[in-house]
Amino acid sequence: MSTPTSPTIRGIARALRLPLALLLLMVVAATVATLIQPDERRQGRHLDPADTSAQGAKALAVLLAERGVTVHRVERVAEAAELATDDTTIVVTSSVRVGLEQLTTLAELPGDRVIVDPFPQDLPTLVPGVTVESGARPTSRLPGCSLPAATAAGTVFTGGVTFSAPEHGEGCYHADGEPTLVSIAEEGVRTVVLGDGEFMTNRRLAEDGNAALALNLLGARPNLIWLMPSPLDRPPPGEGGESFEDLIPAGVLWATLQLVIAVVFVALWRGRRLGPVVSEALPVVVRAAETVEGRGRLYRSRHAHDRAAAALRAGALGRITGRLGLNHDADPDAITQAIAVRTGRDPVQVAEVLHGPPPAGDAELVVLADQLDTVEREVRGS
Amino acid sequence: MALTGRTGLLALLGTIVVLFAPRPGLAVLVIEGLLLLAVVLDLCLAGSVRALRFTREGERLVRLGDSVTVDLIVANPGRRRVRGLLRDAWPPSAHPAPRLHPVDLPAGERRRVRTVLTPSRRGDREAVRVTVRSLGPLGLAARQGTHAVPWTVRVLPPFHSRRHLGAKLAKLRELQGSHPALIRGQGTEFDSLREYVIGDDIRSIDWRATARRSDVVVRTWRPERDRRVLIVLDTGRTSAARVGDIPRLDSAMDAALLLAALAARAGDRVDLLAYDRQVRTQVSGESRTTLLPALVNAMAPIEASLVEADAPGMTAAILARARRRCLLVLLTDLNPPALEEGLLTVLPELTARHLVLLAAVADPRIAELAAGRGGAEAVYDAASAERALADRQAITATLARRGVQVVDAPPETIAPALADAYLALKAAGRL
Repeated sequence: MSTPTSPTIRGIARALRLPLALLLLMVVAATVATLIQPDERRQGRHLDPADTSAQGAKALAVLLAERGVTVHRVERVAEAAELATDDTTIVVTSSVRVGLEQLTTLAELPGDRVIVDPFPQDLPTLVPGVTVESGARPTSRLPGCSLPAATAAGTVFTGGVTFSAPEHGEGCYHADGEPTLVSIAEEGVRTVVLGDGEFMTNRRLAEDGNAALALNLLGARPNLIWLMPSPLDRPPPGEGGESFEDLIPAGVLWATLQLVIAVVFVALWRGRRLGPVVSEALPVVVRAAETVEGRGRLYRSRHAHDRAAAALRAGALGRITGRLGLNHDADPDAITQAIAVRTGRDPVQVAEVLHGPPPAGDAELVVLADQLDTVEREVRGS
Repeated sequence: MALTGRTGLLALLGTIVVLFAPRPGLAVLVIEGLLLLAVVLDLCLAGSVRALRFTREGERLVRLGDSVTVDLIVANPGRRRVRGLLRDAWPPSAHPAPRLHPVDLPAGERRRVRTVLTPSRRGDREAVRVTVRSLGPLGLAARQGTHAVPWTVRVLPPFHSRRHLGAKLAKLRELQGSHPALIRGQGTEFDSLREYVIGDDIRSIDWRATARRSDVVVRTWRPERDRRVLIVLDTGRTSAARVGDIPRLDSAMDAALLLAALAARAGDRVDLLAYDRQVRTQVSGESRTTLLPALVNAMAPIEASLVEADAPGMTAAILARARRRCLLVLLTDLNPPALEEGLLTVLPELTARHLVLLAAVADPRIAELAAGRGGAEAVYDAASAERALADRQAITATLARRGVQVVDAPPETIAPALADAYLALKAAGRL
């Protein structure tokens, strides 16, 4: 008379066939899609000399190469340091990605420097004396200075931020009187700070004098080190030659893994129910007095003194007439008279309580209820 | 399958081993491998749950409030011992105890597992499933399986008003004239002639019969017998409302049972009909001895449904069942709008052929509210309660004018009040 209801292993396998097939299909589809897709990291990386998208700067790199400039695209400051000589130009397009220690290394490297859209906090290290003033809308601007590279190029699409130039420096492409390009020449080394590098991108290079300025700035030396800081460019190990992670014994990591496995086992132990959850259809719980209470609240919220008083009076009258042996719909005066005779109260007062005007407020209603009670009690007691 | 806490504990201890092992990676691999092996071994060596055979024995009926034992006999025809836990699952309102049973079943043997149910609700309670967790010898893992072993326990209405039955039967005996005090039977139907004994009422002497015999002969009366009583339970929405903590329907059932017990003793034929928009249950043609069991059995699974009762349909069902004149006891609520739109429209059809008695469970809470004083909130509630009471009185008066007798009493007294009303009708010979 008993029948097993648990699924057999074969049954489980059959039930899992379709979901497993779907899962496999999804994994395959995801793998193929990932393989087909081009490397996302390379796509649209701003001012990357290897990037051919509108954001990149491949066109500039090619032009430079045609003019005999060797372009070294590097991702680490250490690589840049290896290549840097007096005869190189270093371009930094996003200083924010360079770590603080490496920033110092970078600042100490020999050769010319072109810094595009610098992170304001990095400026004192990279180019002492230059600070960021305010923002400027990128647009075509006239050189307005005597820097040969700028005067030769003419109008250039510049903007981004404006700088305050030190006295020995020269500012060009002014926005609201502040330069967006600052060039400082010291001891044969030139450092150029640009508020925006948009003019060097593949999209803008052909406009105005953009190409000319870019070539003048970057092609001054035969070697160009284009620093595209990589997020993987970590600072070198600390003093002891070991990082924090190296100091943790390997056993701890593996023990953590073992702990996770133990937690999974405990979860499986606690999570397995002994049999199904039993549900039961329960009857609704409706209290019979709910409608009466609801009407009471409705009276209160609408301040229905008159209706409430009428109901209270009708109830009291019904009980009093019953006790007095009068007909329910007897003449009100007769009832009042009968009550006055029984209780010895003033008939006018009794009539006021039983048939008077409706109360004007909650307080009066409460008083009326008490008065009705008194009359009723007196009739009962007489 | 299921794991035990022991597996988790071993894995946890493994953490310490891994922490100090010279080659922790390998240690993790070895520990997991050993654990997996032990678990698989345990699963293979555990007794089969699928092979177990179950049968049930025990009671199928219980009064609400009482306990009932249901036995589960587990047979293990397999070759391995089954050791572990068994859960005999029942609906929550059946309150099974204990919830879990430890089992230890050697191969080829049977064991009895006893579950005590103390149901807290009327109706049928069906056994859900039996689940067994069979541990392996190492206690690391267990096989788990579920079996369906059907069994139904019917929870009958409690019939609390049984305690009033003695008093009401004494009253009935008084009516029948069989009271020890030799009071003249107050029934209205001529029963028999018998010899006068001292103490008999001299008014009951039958002079004509006395003249024919040498003895003084008295007439005895007995109450009318073999009348029909049809109890109609309204199972519509108004019966679902709770008075105190129990639905009106349950109080009505209690009253119906007392009335049925009394009427059966009085020699009347009692039938039952439960109706909302369809016939929910009916009992008819039961003999005096089988009537009460049949009634409680029929009433047990009925729950009030949240629909408006269909008065014309109910009338048709009543008229189809009660061809001869009978006492019609309607157990419903004195809900003015529901009655005005329902019963009152079809009442003439019923009163024309039958004697109609309407019994309603009043809510003592309303009287409590009506007496409330002391603040605006209480007084407004009191006014609302007065209004409800007035409505109830008005509908009672309307029904009385239409020839319907109304019994309106709170749940504690509805059963004796209804019995008294029945006895009064019987004494008056109105059945």
